[in-house]
Amino acid sequence: MAPRAGPPAAPALELTGVRKAYGQQVALDDVTLRVEPGEVFGFLGPNGAGKTTAVKILTGLVHAGDGEARVLGRPVGEPAARRRIGYLPEHFRFQDWATGTALLEFHARLAGLPAGQRPARIAEVLELVGLAGRGRQRIRTYSKGMAQRIGLAQALLGRPELVLLDEPTSALDPVGRREVRDLIGRLREQGVTVFLNSHLLSEVELVCDRVAIIDRGRIVRTGRLADLVGSVTAVRVALDRVDQPLLDALGRYGRVQSVDGGSVVLVVDDVDVAPAVADCVVRAGYRLFELVPVQRSLEEVFLGLVHGGDR
Amino acid sequence: MTTLVVARWTVAEAVSRRLVLAAILLSAAFVGLFALAFSILYDRAEADPGGDALFAVFAATLLTVLGLYAVQFLAAFLALLLSAGAISGEVESGTLHAVLARPLGRGQYLLGRWIASVALLTVYVVAMAGSLLLVARLVAGYQPVDPVRAVALLVLETVLLLTAGLLGSTFLPTLANAVVLFSLFGLAWLAGIVEFIGQTVANQTLANLGIAVSLVFPSDAVWRAASYYLQPPAFLGEAVTRGGIPFAALTPPTTALLLWALAYPVATLLLALRTFARRDL
Repeated sequence: MAPRAGPPAAPALELTGVRKAYGQQVALDDVTLRVEPGEVFGFLGPNGAGKTTAVKILTGLVHAGDGEARVLGRPVGEPAARRRIGYLPEHFRFQDWATGTALLEFHARLAGLPAGQRPARIAEVLELVGLAGRGRQRIRTYSKGMAQRIGLAQALLGRPELVLLDEPTSALDPVGRREVRDLIGRLREQGVTVFLNSHLLSEVELVCDRVAIIDRGRIVRTGRLADLVGSVTAVRVALDRVDQPLLDALGRYGRVQSVDGGSVVLVVDDVDVAPAVADCVVRAGYRLFELVPVQRSLEEVFLGLVHGGDR
Repeated sequence: MTTLVVARWTVAEAVSRRLVLAAILLSAAFVGLFALAFSILYDRAEADPGGDALFAVFAATLLTVLGLYAVQFLAAFLALLLSAGAISGEVESGTLHAVLARPLGRGQYLLGRWIASVALLTVYVVAMAGSLLLVARLVAGYQPVDPVRAVALLVLETVLLLTAGLLGSTFLPTLANAVVLFSLFGLAWLAGIVEFIGQTVANQTLANLGIAVSLVFPSDAVWRAASYYLQPPAFLGEAVTRGGIPFAALTPPTTALLLWALAYPVATLLLALRTFARRDL
């Protein structure tokens, strides 16, 4: 999809040099992040990396120690900044003495939805998350998956411009996950910005335009998903035999990552070296069966970033 | 406006959790029991051939003050139970997160909860105290010094406790807050008794000790202020020489106490708004 034209609008959300510590424990360290309107942005990181803290700062639940956080062009401290925000908290716990409809009615009032629109909008979001007909039931009687769905309904209720979803599918089965993915796709079509906190890489890979990877409070990589998974490439070379002279020869073109029988994975800076690699092995007398570029998956990129380096 | 949405929601919660129903049923039972005991005991006191003219007044006063003393305890416990986990409980369970991400200030949320709790407790105190005073009046023609002022002070005591509980719940875990609140309430009660004994045996140190604690947590002092207006003038006149009821005052509250008792909930509410606004959730 082509990026939106027109004058640059205020970013949907913006963190600038945000730092947050709980006592000695640093949750976020100099985090700078910008999400443009209409983007579906994935915020990835292992558990405890600071994802939830970042979302809580963006919703005003946690005060940033240093730095600035803005949503939809306003500082997060202002209640008005939250007028066009939908938020699904990580633990999606709601007042379980209420019925689903009563909960949504309460949130609709808080969100400032006009009285005349409330019943129709509540029915609409219940339908949207697959809870049509379950609104009169008390939340206490909901399954975990239903509770997460009512949380999604709550987040979408006020027709937000920015939706912050903190692990939105943690309690859902594969069918439910698929439904949420479709839901995010529909939000994208409507031009809604989605900020998706997740450690489910496959989920992020399927829906997000851009991602940031956070590890121990620091952002270690930000970029378009396509660039990120394409940035480091490898070629797989399949031959009749693999020996040390061959590995030495391949080493001139890149770094040998793995050897499996007659197959070698060679990490290269640029996939354009492939013909040169082919020439080299054929001239050295090996029989070449296959030479294919291999794109690294998001999982490989992710694991390389959060486990590598100084750990 | 948003504050009232929160207040309505709080009342809806009390109704939905059957708190209101339980309170109504138990209160009806309490008032019924009081009416029965009051009429039986008052009839006996009135019929007692050994009693002087004031004996029946004494009996009626003792029964009424005792009944309202019980109401005061019930209202106090209700205030503390309602407030001990008002914020902390919602923070601990995580139900507050989605709510506070809405375009409302934390102050609006806290005030909404406070207004609803004050309204519920006021209805409770007025209904209970009013019923007891009505029973005493119908059975014994009981005429306290100033029933309206007495009930208003009972409401003030409840609001004072409720607000202190709300303050604690903005920064303490529910259980710790409940322990602190009940300890303070108990300490204030004990201090009231100590002060009474100090006055009775004319020991200034004991009396000062009681006053000092009342300043720190004036719940019992406000009850004593209310208790003065609950007694009939005839009883008060006699009791000055004969000795009164240990948990009721024989002199009207000072203006200083009343001002302090009014300032206390205001100050604790302001402090609660401040601590809640700063808290990370």
